[in-house]
Amino acid sequence: MARTWQRWVPAVAAPAVVAVAVVGGVFATSASADLPEKTPQQVLELAAASDVESFSGDVQQSADLGLPDLSSVPGGSGAASGGSGSSAADADAGISSALELLTGSHDARVYADGPTKVRVQILDQLAERDAIRSGDDLWLYDSGDQTAVHSTVPAETEDGSTGSGDDVSATPLPTEISTPAQLAQKLLDAVDPTTDVTLGADTKVAGRSAYDLILTPRSSDTLVGSVSIAVDSETGLPLSVEVLARGASDPSFSVAFTSLSLDTPSADLFAFTPPEGTTVTEKPFPEHGDGPATGSDAASAGPQPVVTGEGWARIVELPVGASVTDITSSPLFSQLTTPVDGGAVLQTTLVSVLLTDDGRVFAGAVPAEQLQAAAAAAPDVATPDAAAPASPTAPAPASPAE
Amino acid sequence: MSSDAHGTHSPGEPGRGPAPAAAPGSLPTPTPLTTDTSAPATATADAPTRVTPGDTLAAASASPGPASPGPTGTELTTRRPQRAIGFGFFASELSVLFRRRRTWAMLGALAAIPVLIAVAIRLTDGGDGRGPAFLDRITQNGLFVGMTALVVSIPLFLPLTVGVVAGDTIAGEASTGTLRYLLVSPVGRIRLLVVKYAAAVVFSLAATVTVALAGILIGFALFPVGPVTLLSGDTISVGEALLRSMLIAAYVTLGLVGLSAIGLFISTLTDAPVGAMAATVVLSIVSQVLGQLSQTEWLHPWLFSYYWLDFADLLRQPIEWSSFGGNALLQLGYVIVFGALAYGRFASKDVLS
Repeated sequence: MARTWQRWVPAVAAPAVVAVAVVGGVFATSASADLPEKTPQQVLELAAASDVESFSGDVQQSADLGLPDLSSVPGGSGAASGGSGSSAADADAGISSALELLTGSHDARVYADGPTKVRVQILDQLAERDAIRSGDDLWLYDSGDQTAVHSTVPAETEDGSTGSGDDVSATPLPTEISTPAQLAQKLLDAVDPTTDVTLGADTKVAGRSAYDLILTPRSSDTLVGSVSIAVDSETGLPLSVEVLARGASDPSFSVAFTSLSLDTPSADLFAFTPPEGTTVTEKPFPEHGDGPATGSDAASAGPQPVVTGEGWARIVELPVGASVTDITSSPLFSQLTTPVDGGAVLQTTLVSVLLTDDGRVFAGAVPAEQLQAAAAAAPDVATPDAAAPASPTAPAPASPAE
Repeated sequence: MSSDAHGTHSPGEPGRGPAPAAAPGSLPTPTPLTTDTSAPATATADAPTRVTPGDTLAAASASPGPASPGPTGTELTTRRPQRAIGFGFFASELSVLFRRRRTWAMLGALAAIPVLIAVAIRLTDGGDGRGPAFLDRITQNGLFVGMTALVVSIPLFLPLTVGVVAGDTIAGEASTGTLRYLLVSPVGRIRLLVVKYAAAVVFSLAATVTVALAGILIGFALFPVGPVTLLSGDTISVGEALLRSMLIAAYVTLGLVGLSAIGLFISTLTDAPVGAMAATVVLSIVSQVLGQLSQTEWLHPWLFSYYWLDFADLLRQPIEWSSFGGNALLQLGYVIVFGALAYGRFASKDVLS
């Protein structure tokens, strides 16, 4: 009967309408922009000349580094930065929390008004981690366990200069999630003859048209296939960074603005007083709370790292010393690493970290075999005075391209 | 009177559909609905008396009676009373729903959740930091009882009660044999669907508000109440916290709107209300399980439960509205799709019971 099938028409049409709306929305956001032609060098200059200091925006970071899912590990999402004591359990919590930021996807809101007024909010489900810098005060607040860490920034220290260097686990002040701009700046600073710079098709990020700068390592020794940076066509502000592993088609790591406003955020946002019931810890500045962080962070945090190789295939070596058992005895360690000849390897799609049995750490954006070769080539160093990984001192730059 | 009303009813149907709520009624179908498949017109004389178990006489027929004037006038003059009928029908549907002992039992059970939480915390004096989110904050601030109760009830208790009501909408009438009489009285099928659905949504709101309100009240009774610390570490006054609690209730209700539409559709498929209720509840659990699996990550943003626990975005400073908007869009999609499906099924269905 005609009437019967007519009554099903809306039931068929409704999903179609919804599908069209969804597809239309996707196309609208991914539509490519048509920008005036520029050479890669001009875009580099545009990015370097960017002077955007006040903005607010939503940032999405997603990482697919091949690390195991750590959400099941106790303390994985809770203690962001509080636990950096030397006990294995505390170290575990710190490590897993830092690693947790390197797995899966995270949303954050970023507010900035000049270099000394910055607030980053990592939006967890039913919780939030905040990092607020206002003048010389630096606060890290974790709503999950209601802890706050306070440090005073020495006057001469600039914001970005204290971040540990590795391009993947870059952890600049004031938080574990860096904005696309911070990350891109590190990468752009590091453009050198070992890097091939090209321009991709113009893109749109966060509703703004952008040039797509593609950095490709010339060396085939590195795990990094290419790095793509979207540079805002108007302001030169990097809007997104994607790092692809060699041979991969999807980014292993990406951080991008999903929305961006260049208005100056409200001043209230930068005023932070720890709320009642919060455990407040005072910390001297260099230990501003990255904790032991990842293996590669530990690598860059120890004293006197030895750098071999060059460009993207650079390998950083540093002694960890006596506390190696602290790390290796933790259950997290065995979950993350695979034992190899002479040590254990933490293998991600972009970075490898080798922890040798004699307490040295080798890290680099290279295959694990090269780290083993480097470990075999380098002489053993006895390092009784090495700092524990749980209390990193001033991190040294370890970017593979710096 | 009723034969007159029945006569005017059919041509006016499409215009009347969207009156109570913006749902499937807005579909452009000029076809009159109450003709072929329902009972013969002679039955209309005594049809409007609608009996539901536990109630003697539903107001369904009582209020439209005087509202509809005598013989058919022009379209304009008939529209007005019809709109009044729509509202009267909705009001009667609500009164039927909220006079059921089952509805009050469910609301009572929901109200018991924050009470249980608060009493347990009060007796044991806090916990060891484990348990649902916000639990450890209750001892400092009683206003968190409602939030904790919402976290606890969102995965199961709220979908369960909403599933019961939504699954009962059509199938319940069918199983008691009142559906046929409902349709021969001056009630079009679209309007019946819309009113039933709107009532289910009202129940969702009532359920959510019950949890939040009971939590606030018991929190005031058992714990100190003061300025509330938001997730961002900022502090807001009690008044603003209450305002945000109501916003959260609205958010959670919004999240249940899609589930209600699914329940309505399933309810049109069967004459066994228990089956429709169970299927709706099971679907809500399936959706949440899929939302937990990393293998189905591509699917997550499309699950109606995707935004359920993001109500905490209203506890940030400044409020993160994107999840509110995303939630609304997602639920709208579910309402459109399942509303249209429910319409297709219900309008083409032979109502035999």
